[in-house]
Amino acid sequence: MLELIDASRHYDVAGRAVRALDGVRELFPAGSITAVVGRSGCGKTTLLRLLAGLTEPSSGEVRRAPSHSVGVVFQEARLMPWLDVAANVAFPLKGRLSDADMAAHVDEALALVSLTEVRRALPVQLSGGMAQRVAIARALAQQPDILLLDEPFSALDAFTRRSLQRVLIDIWRARRPTVVLVTHDVEEAVLLGESVVEMEAGHVVGRVTIDLPFPREATDPAVVDHRRSILARLVGGTDPVTQAIHSGRK
Amino acid sequence: MPARRFLASTAVFASVAMIWWLAGRAGWTNAYLLPAPSAVIAALSDLAASGALLKHTLISLQRVLLGFALSVALALPLAVLLSASRLARSVLDPLLEFIRQIPPLALIPLLILWLGIGEAQKLGIIVLASFFPVFLGFRGGIAGVDPKLIEVGHVAGLTRREILTRIILPSALPELVVGLRISLGYSWRALVGAELIASSAGLGYMIIDAENLARTDIVLAGILVIGAIGLLSDVVLRFTIGRAFPWLSADLEAAHA
Repeated sequence: MLELIDASRHYDVAGRAVRALDGVRELFPAGSITAVVGRSGCGKTTLLRLLAGLTEPSSGEVRRAPSHSVGVVFQEARLMPWLDVAANVAFPLKGRLSDADMAAHVDEALALVSLTEVRRALPVQLSGGMAQRVAIARALAQQPDILLLDEPFSALDAFTRRSLQRVLIDIWRARRPTVVLVTHDVEEAVLLGESVVEMEAGHVVGRVTIDLPFPREATDPAVVDHRRSILARLVGGTDPVTQAIHSGRK
Repeated sequence: MPARRFLASTAVFASVAMIWWLAGRAGWTNAYLLPAPSAVIAALSDLAASGALLKHTLISLQRVLLGFALSVALALPLAVLLSASRLARSVLDPLLEFIRQIPPLALIPLLILWLGIGEAQKLGIIVLASFFPVFLGFRGGIAGVDPKLIEVGHVAGLTRREILTRIILPSALPELVVGLRISLGYSWRALVGAELIASSAGLGYMIIDAENLARTDIVLAGILVIGAIGLLSDVVLRFTIGRAFPWLSADLEAAHA
């Protein structure tokens, strides 16, 4: 169970309340994979932080089964600079698994992101993309019941992004964690989501079910159609820039 | 590259010695005020042969290490306490800030009255002089921990204690190391100051005793030994830390610069 019930989050910016998230009601069924899409500043990261328990709602409620483990991949790798790659991947497991189990989890996760050879490297020696793959391995090694990803692939080159998107889908199909993926890339949302949640200005403004088999191809006409219609809705009449231009404001 | 750097810094040392020697040779300096390198080396070897150099050095070294260890033992838990507790901060910070402003040497008269002229007084001065760099370095390191890394700990379900030991303390290590190095240097300075004023042994005493006997060669010999030991102890500290925490080596270089 993973659910937001009328969840709002307000921030105080220079004495003015900014509503990052405003009364969102959303259920993420167990074992589903959901993509949340919207432009930057629409509140999608706040939504993910509420689900992760990193931010408390100003009002409303976040429901999550207390027994469920959570893995999070952030926009940045957030590796511990003093630990090597393997120790970073093992970080959330330490003290919770036996050494043998931990080593097995780490090996498997590193193999999934193709980083087995650099297991002894320090974060400072990694490229940005490699560091992000370590962060993904760290979340996967936990084998979490809930996997939350905040733009996990946006810092990666196109080839690595494609292969890691496939890895994510494979893992999801094999283990069925509840996955919530936040992205600004509509194509990625359509490729990875069973359903796509559209957000704008702190609100959920649409929800589409993408009833296509996995793995999906970006060139599939059905994928292209979904992408086009979601984009049309998100960029449509409510685009603040377009509005400003039409109304003659700067 | 390290070999070349070592060679270069040795060359600088050698050049200074050369200028020193030339200055004496050409008669630019008074041999009493600035004895020639050869005279200082002769004094050093005499001191070494008589065992006096070793005796004074060991006594000074012992005082420094003990005082430094005491400082560290006091500073680390206090830094953790003040970082963790707002109450402790508001109660203790003003007092510590007050003490920090006082040069330890200004307290020597009081320390002599309170602690006599024995070891306790010297340790007191060393602790006063070396406490703050470790304490402030460690606190700064703790305060500077990237909150994003702490979130990784929260997500992984770490307890408060685990977040302290597994994220905050390792993060604070680079600044702590800088503090340790500064503290060790301050310990030496304070020690020699204390030994100059009231002591019957140690390198500071050796220097002041030589001054009373108008032996500037021994004064210079003492200064050279203090400089050399200070340099050596910094190298040892850096080497030990570099071995124990290889990921710190970049920060260590930065601190050296």
